[in-house]
Amino acid sequence: MSDIWKRFPGVVANAGANLSVSRGSIHAVLGENGAGKSTLMNVLAGVYRPDEGEVRVEGVAHRFRTPADALAAGIGMVHQEFRLVPSFTVAENVVLGAAARILRRQAIEDEVADLAEQFGLATRPDRPVWQLSMGERQRVEILKALWRDAHILILDEPTAVLTPAEADELGVVLRAMADAGRSVIFISHKLHEVTGFCDEATVLRGGRTVAASVRVADTDAGELASLMVGSSPMTTERPPAHPAGPPLLEVSGLSALGDRGLPALQSVDLTVRSGEIVGIAGVAGNGQRELCQVVAGLRSATAGTVHLAGDDLTGASPRKLFQAGLGYIPEDRLGVGLAPRLSVVDNSILRTYEAHRRGPFIVAERAEAHCVDLVERFGVRTGPLDDPMAGLSGGNLQRLLVGRELSGRPRVVVAAQPTRGLDVQGVKAIQDLLVEARDEGAAVLLVSEDLDELLTLADRLVVMHDGEIVGEFDPTTAARSEIGEAMIGHGAGVGS
Amino acid sequence: MSRPVLVRREQALRGGQPLSFAIGLVVALTIGIVLLLGAGHDPVAIYERMFVAALGDPDSWSVTLNRAVPLGLAGLAVAVAGSMGLWNIGAEGQILAGAMMAAGVARIGEGWPGPVLVTAILVGGVVGGSLWALGPAVARSQIGVNEILTTLMLNEVALRLVQWLIHGPWKDPDSFNFPLAPMIPDHGRLPTLFGRAHVGVIVALVVIALFAVAVNRTAWGFELRVAGSSGATARYAGISLERKTATVLVMAGGVAGLAGGIELAGTADRLTEGISNGFGYAGIIVAALALMRPSGVAAVAVLFGAVQIGGQSIQTMGVSSSVSTILQALILFGAIGAGVLSRYQVRMVPGDPGDPGDPGGDGVQVGEAT
Repeated sequence: MSDIWKRFPGVVANAGANLSVSRGSIHAVLGENGAGKSTLMNVLAGVYRPDEGEVRVEGVAHRFRTPADALAAGIGMVHQEFRLVPSFTVAENVVLGAAARILRRQAIEDEVADLAEQFGLATRPDRPVWQLSMGERQRVEILKALWRDAHILILDEPTAVLTPAEADELGVVLRAMADAGRSVIFISHKLHEVTGFCDEATVLRGGRTVAASVRVADTDAGELASLMVGSSPMTTERPPAHPAGPPLLEVSGLSALGDRGLPALQSVDLTVRSGEIVGIAGVAGNGQRELCQVVAGLRSATAGTVHLAGDDLTGASPRKLFQAGLGYIPEDRLGVGLAPRLSVVDNSILRTYEAHRRGPFIVAERAEAHCVDLVERFGVRTGPLDDPMAGLSGGNLQRLLVGRELSGRPRVVVAAQPTRGLDVQGVKAIQDLLVEARDEGAAVLLVSEDLDELLTLADRLVVMHDGEIVGEFDPTTAARSEIGEAMIGHGAGVGS
Repeated sequence: MSRPVLVRREQALRGGQPLSFAIGLVVALTIGIVLLLGAGHDPVAIYERMFVAALGDPDSWSVTLNRAVPLGLAGLAVAVAGSMGLWNIGAEGQILAGAMMAAGVARIGEGWPGPVLVTAILVGGVVGGSLWALGPAVARSQIGVNEILTTLMLNEVALRLVQWLIHGPWKDPDSFNFPLAPMIPDHGRLPTLFGRAHVGVIVALVVIALFAVAVNRTAWGFELRVAGSSGATARYAGISLERKTATVLVMAGGVAGLAGGIELAGTADRLTEGISNGFGYAGIIVAALALMRPSGVAAVAVLFGAVQIGGQSIQTMGVSSSVSTILQALILFGAIGAGVLSRYQVRMVPGDPGDPGDPGGDGVQVGEAT
C-alpha cells in the first residue's frame, strides 16, 4: 500500500500511509488510538476506498469496491467485533455466504474440521457459536477467512478480547499460518505481543507511516514505544508550577474488572492534591479507562476505596459524586458525556437539571440562561441552542462538556483523553481550562495517550501498565525513554 | 456519469413532517387514480366521497375524531416508550386488556350512578392496560428481556382471553347462543359532545397534552429523553434506568388501556374481539409519523383517522374493501416514504454505481441516473 490518503469530515485519518507486507510473515501495525491503523486496514480490506494512493497485491494494482473484492484478491479481515450468527454452528458460520450449494451438514463439518486441523485451530464445528468462548469465536472468524482462501489475513487488535493464555495460543496459530506461506497483519498496541511473535512492524502516527517494515529482531519494545508516542508538533509552554495543597482525591487499593469480566485494575494507590495535575501515562487498555470510571461512579470496584476531600465515596452514584465536587470528562464524549440527539440547552444541564426545577418542571428560562452562560464563558460556537447537540463540531462539543463539568468549580476533576481528536485550537482551549481549574485549587487527574501533553501539563506523572501503577516520574526531569519503558511494563520506573 | 445519493441532513428539515405527509398524500392519490380506473371506478367521485365522509361536515368530523381517539392514544403509548428508546409493540393487547377490565367494571358497577360508572370504566381501562404491560416492564427493567418480543406476544394472549370471555363466562344469556358479551348499561356510556363525537375525544386530547408537556418540560421527561439518547449518558447524569424503564412501560400500557376503556364505553358498547380493530398496530405507524414525539401524535391521529373513515366509506360505493385498504396503505406508505426527505437530501454525485460515494458512511444509494 503506498501513499494512502483517507479523509473523513473534519479528520484526516490517513495522510500518506505506506505499508508493505512480505509473504509468509507476521507483520505488526502499531500506533496509538487515532493513528490511522484501523482506517488503513479498512482500506486494504475493501471497506473504505482511499481518496488517494495505491493498493498492490502480489504486484497487481487493485481498486477494491467492497470487502468481497478484497477477499477475491485474497485479503481477509477479522474485525474486533465478531460478525457471527450466534445460533448457527461453527461450520455454518464458516461457510455462511460462501457455500453456493445446499448445505450438507456432515460434509461441511468435516471440511471445516480438516481446515482447522491444518492450522492447529482447536474448534468444534458442530457447536453453536453462542456456546463458545471469545477465543473460540475468534478462531471461527479466522477460519472464515481461511475458508475463503485469504492469503493475507488482517487481525484488528485480536488479543483485546483474549485472556493471556488464549493470546499465546493465537500466536502459535498465526505462526503456523505464516509458515504455510500466508501473510498475517497484526494490529496491536501491545508491544510485548509484537516483540513476542511478529517478524516485522510498521508504526503509524498521525495517519503517516513513521517506521516501515522494521525487523522486530533488530529493535526492541522501547524503541517501538518511542516511535509510537513520538513528539507532537505542538509544544505548549509549561504552565508555572503551583504549590500543591491538601489531598482531595485519594484512591487506595482499588481493583476493578473490565468490560469482559477480566481484572482491569489491580490494587491502585493514587493521591491527587489540591492545585496539582497528576497525569496518567500508559498504552491504551492498561486500566486507565477503568480507573476513571470507578472514580466517577460508573464502574464498581471489587476492592479498595475512593476518598473525595476526606469522605469515603467508594461506590457512590455518579450524581452523588458530582454533587460532592467531582467533575468528570469521560473519554467517550458522544456516548457518555453528552446526549447528541438532545438540544444544546438540554446537554448543558445534563448534570444539574435538578437545580433548574420548579416543582416537576424544568424552568426553561433558567436552563437556557445556564446554557448561554456556558456558551459564552467557554467560547462554544453553536447554532440555535434548541438544535440537537450533534450539529456541533468536535471541539465545540468538548468545550461545552468541559465547561459544564468545570462551571460548578469542582474540587476534583477527572479528565479522560480530554483533547483527543481535537484540532490545535481546541486542544489549547481545553488544556488551558484544565490548568485554570488547577490554579483555582482543583485536584486534576489527567489521562492521556499524548505523552507530550502529559509532560507539559502534569505536575506529577504516573505510568499504568496492566492495571497497575508501575512508576512515578517528575515530568520536568524524566527522560521520555524511561517513561516509554515503564509504559510497556519493564524499565527503571517499575518499583512496586 | 452522475447519480443521486441520499445524504443525511445535519438538521431535520423544519416543518418537514407535515410537508412530507402532504407529498405522500398527493403521490398516493395519484397512484390511487390508476388503481381505481383499473378497477372500473370513477376516481373523482370516489375521492370526493372519501373527503366528504371523513371531513365534509360536523357529523363526519365527529366520526373521524372518534376514530382518532384510539389511534392517538395507541400512538401515544408507543411514542412515550419510544421517547426513552423502548419499543412498545403491545398497544393492541393493552387496549384489549383495558377493554376487558373496563367491561368487568361495567358488570360490577351496574347499579352505580352514571358519572361514577363512566369514570370507573375509564380507570378500569387504564388499570387493565397497565397490568398488561407490567410483565414486560419488569422483565425488561430487571433482567433485560427484550420488550419488543414480550409486548408483541402478549397481544395474542389478550386476544385469546377476550375470546374466552365472550364465548364463556361473559356470554350474554340473551344472545341466542351467539358469542356476544352483554351491552354495558346505558348510563355507563360516554356522553356525546356533538354528532357522534363522545367525551373520549377530550379525554384523549388532555392525556396526550399532559404527556407532551411531561416529556418536553419536566425533569421526569428530561430524564426520559436523556435515557432515550443513550443509556450510558443517563447513568452518567445520575438517572436510574431500571425504575424509569419499568414505569414508562407501565404508563404506556395504561395509556393504551385507556383507549380500550374509551372504545368500550364510547363506540363498541360491548366487549368484542374486534374492539381494538388493529388500533394498537396502527399506533406504531402514528408514533413513527409523529417522530416518536408525544406532541405530534394528536394531529397525526386525526389525519390517520380521516384516511380510515374515508377509506371505509367508499366500500358502500361498490369499491371492494381491498381497494380501499390498498388506498389507505398507499397514503401511509407515501407519507412515511416522503418523511425520509425531511431527514435526507438528494444530492447528485459524480462517480460510477457501486461507489459508496459519501465516505462518511451516511450515503444511501437510491438508484442510477441515466
